[in-house]
Amino acid sequence: MTLLVWVGVVLIGGGGSVLRFLVDGAIASRTGRSFPYGTLVVNLSGAVLLGLVTGLVLNRDGALLAGTAAVGSYTTFSTWMFETQRLAEDRQVPGLAANVVVSLVAGVVAAALGKMIGSYL
Amino acid sequence: MIEDCLKLTSYFGERNRNGRTFLADSQLDLFGRREIPISVLLRGAEGFGLKHHLRTDRLLTLSEDLPIVSVAVDTRARIEALLDDLRSIEHRGLVTLERARMLRGDIGPLQLPDDLHEATKMTVYVGRQERVYRVPAFAAVCDLLHRRGIAGATVLLGVDGTAHGQRTRARFIGRNADVPMMIIAVGSGERIARVLPELGGLLRRPLVTLERVQVCKQEGELVDRPHPLPAVDGTGMAVWQKLMVYTSERALHDGQPVHRALVRRLRSSGARGATALRGMWGFHGETPPHGDRLLQLGRRVPVVTIIIDTPDRIAASFDIVDELTTEHGVVTSEMVPATAMIAGDNRDGDLRLAPHRPAR
Repeated sequence: MTLLVWVGVVLIGGGGSVLRFLVDGAIASRTGRSFPYGTLVVNLSGAVLLGLVTGLVLNRDGALLAGTAAVGSYTTFSTWMFETQRLAEDRQVPGLAANVVVSLVAGVVAAALGKMIGSYL
Repeated sequence: MIEDCLKLTSYFGERNRNGRTFLADSQLDLFGRREIPISVLLRGAEGFGLKHHLRTDRLLTLSEDLPIVSVAVDTRARIEALLDDLRSIEHRGLVTLERARMLRGDIGPLQLPDDLHEATKMTVYVGRQERVYRVPAFAAVCDLLHRRGIAGATVLLGVDGTAHGQRTRARFIGRNADVPMMIIAVGSGERIARVLPELGGLLRRPLVTLERVQVCKQEGELVDRPHPLPAVDGTGMAVWQKLMVYTSERALHDGQPVHRALVRRLRSSGARGATALRGMWGFHGETPPHGDRLLQLGRRVPVVTIIIDTPDRIAASFDIVDELTTEHGVVTSEMVPATAMIAGDNRDGDLRLAPHRPAR
């Protein structure tokens, strides 16, 4: 059973990162702007999902697969930081500040919202 | 000795493949086998092509398939022979042929051909670790150009290429001493002619190309709009036009670096393509040559944006360029006598040279 769970983590984890690549790519090429909207949408939607998953009170394996594997691979902290540094290189101070503040504040709100929805389901 | 040469330039995506190998590798393998005296592979920072997909190193996902530019210069006969070999490579993107003059070996005092008198684009090729009196060669060349009153120079770092016919590919670990770099400078033919013998004295194995250009803008001031070119020449072959916009990472338009704003505006205007190449050293006007610093937040290096299109589109694109370069930047226009666009099996254009020469 444990082996099956770990195989599940590998597959779902891979799927999560592919989904991020597709969502981020679609948004970024559509907006065509230097502000990283794609990563912001990915991280905020991931925060809602993770809040939802923890709100649902799943069993241990379920939480591992849905939380760590799926949402963990879908969201990205490193890309958020990387793109913030790139905004700094381009002297995009308003964009830089917005990227940090909006991600943080809206992220916490999104996670709380997800948890609230999850506990009602 | 001045040789009449051709410059073959390809614009494509980093991930384009030719069968199992990357297109960039197949091309450079070919340049190495043919012992092309000088060829350089450059990675772009941002751009879009025929399919209008934006690629940028600003965003992780969109930096997946960044633009690549490969340049190869050789005598006319040898480039024409190379074109036959290139047809066997599965190619996507844009390929252009331009006229250039090459100087190598002993460069003494010289008389430039008449058509190079007005404005000239000079490209000096040096190795990454090449040194002149213990100073990096690219820095020594920039210093010389700056002291001699050339308006600006941009140093582009090659990642692969051939130098004096020898293939030199940059490795992750290694000195990469001979991997070629390009130093591009634009100036009056007279000033360039004066600086050439000095370059010949400075470098151990000098290799320089000269191309005729028209300066359209200088430090934000409009000099002259790009000469209108006919869409086809006398023999019915398409003529294309190229704008090169030299700016700095520091130059902002509306809070955005000029080259980024430019690529985005051109993309939404329906232009056929644009590629921004980031330099690693250079200067504009009075500011002394510089690169990036180790501890810095904002970048300071020069950037070149290349726009190739049909003459009527270039006129429209120049309006956007003009609007975005009101304070900074040098803009030049050149005729591209042969262009081929290749997207999958669709080939549009022919790599035979259009003989048209624009009126002065």
